[in-house]
Amino acid sequence: MGLSDLNLRVLIPYLPVLGWGALRTLEVSALAIALSFPLGLVGALMRLSDNRFARSIATVYVEVVRNIPLLVVLYILFLVLPLYGIPINALTAGVLGLAINSTAFTIEIIRAGFAAIPPGQYEAARSLGLHRLQMLRLVILPQVFRIVLPTLGNQIVSVVLGSAVASIIGVSELTYETQSIGSSTFRYFELFTIAALFYIACVQAISLLWRLLTGRAAHAPLGT
Amino acid sequence: MLASGHLTNYLLLLLKGLAITLELSLGSLVLGSLGGIVLGAMRSSGWRALRVIALAYTETVRSIPFVILLFFVFFAVPLALDIDIPPYPAAIAALSVHASAYMGEVVRSGIESIPKGQWEAGASLGLPYYRIMRHIVLPQALRVMIPPTIGVYVSTIKESSLASIIGFVELLGQGMAIREANSLHNTADVLVAVAFGYFVVCFSLSQVGRYLEHRTTRDLRPATEPTRAAMARPLVSGRPETQAATIRQTTDDRGVLLRG
Repeated sequence: MGLSDLNLRVLIPYLPVLGWGALRTLEVSALAIALSFPLGLVGALMRLSDNRFARSIATVYVEVVRNIPLLVVLYILFLVLPLYGIPINALTAGVLGLAINSTAFTIEIIRAGFAAIPPGQYEAARSLGLHRLQMLRLVILPQVFRIVLPTLGNQIVSVVLGSAVASIIGVSELTYETQSIGSSTFRYFELFTIAALFYIACVQAISLLWRLLTGRAAHAPLGT
Repeated sequence: MLASGHLTNYLLLLLKGLAITLELSLGSLVLGSLGGIVLGAMRSSGWRALRVIALAYTETVRSIPFVILLFFVFFAVPLALDIDIPPYPAAIAALSVHASAYMGEVVRSGIESIPKGQWEAGASLGLPYYRIMRHIVLPQALRVMIPPTIGVYVSTIKESSLASIIGFVELLGQGMAIREANSLHNTADVLVAVAFGYFVVCFSLSQVGRYLEHRTTRDLRPATEPTRAAMARPLVSGRPETQAATIRQTTDDRGVLLRG
């Protein structure tokens, strides 16, 4: 078979399966993001807290997870947990693994956002008599939020790209369906091109949407 | 868990796997850096067409999951071109393409970190573009580029674990092979040992990168410079990321604000 044999028409019957796979990709990514962004905020607050114990837990978590490949995390969840009597299916393991991975990076992103807030902001809030929670909620977090928004957009993109790894433990998302249709039709070239185009379109759409959605928040003047 | 009997028998195999992982990643990093230098030079060149081509390549590679890239090289290219590509060349090719897109960005930002005056000084000496690049800009940019290059190496090591799924036996592949050979036993510890191997290597490299980065930013930023840099541009621009960057630039090593 050579390049001259390219034939997209053979793939028409498989398009619905690919479409479902693409939806699964988005679903898995959305679930992982929905878990990891709030957890990332909690972790960042832990990293910056006065409590030494909370700080060490968050720091160790970030360093360990960031330095282990996602596939190894997925294998440990999917293959090792059942050995200890914890049943887990591929989808749960996939979402959980992606969320564990993404939380570590989100903690670092939000922590960097906190680090960019000038100390004067804390001093000003304190001199106004705000207590800790009010200071965080009314003064610090809104500013942190704006600073980290663009980077969180990149994190969403990397979760979508990472979700392809979940195909290896059998999550039936786009890469998995592409691979399984390929193994019966041998139309790998066409199939992977379609999958690649989907991911490119997806990433560009997410970047654009994210900029549109967060653009106003990110550029609004402070203090209104 | 780690102390169970059969693991010690396999420690040597796992270490061998780790060595292969490091070799595969280093080879890909070297090839990727060559591509990255070309891409970075294209990105900062005066020709629009070159800039557009390099940008399109970078964006495309960075928008495709590495798994797809790897499968494309391993499954699709051999079918389309009627050639045979064994796992090792496939893995190294996919990893190099992936690394080149990231190295291109590292080289570009390295080149951009060199003040314009250096280019002007080179031009006023009558040097042509490539000689300014080779003798003046790149040697200085190289220093700024080392810490992020270590970052690319770390992520290449992590991505290289995916080579195990096309049948290349590196660290993770070795671990999975041991698991399969001992299917009757509890082999949780093998995967934990594999994770530990990746962690030790990647964590140490990251620490080295962090140290070098700290040293470079300290040396490149004499006490008076941040104030001058801050005055050269408006301190508060509309975009929060520039605002954050400006704030970071106006603080000294201990994070104390020098201005603003």
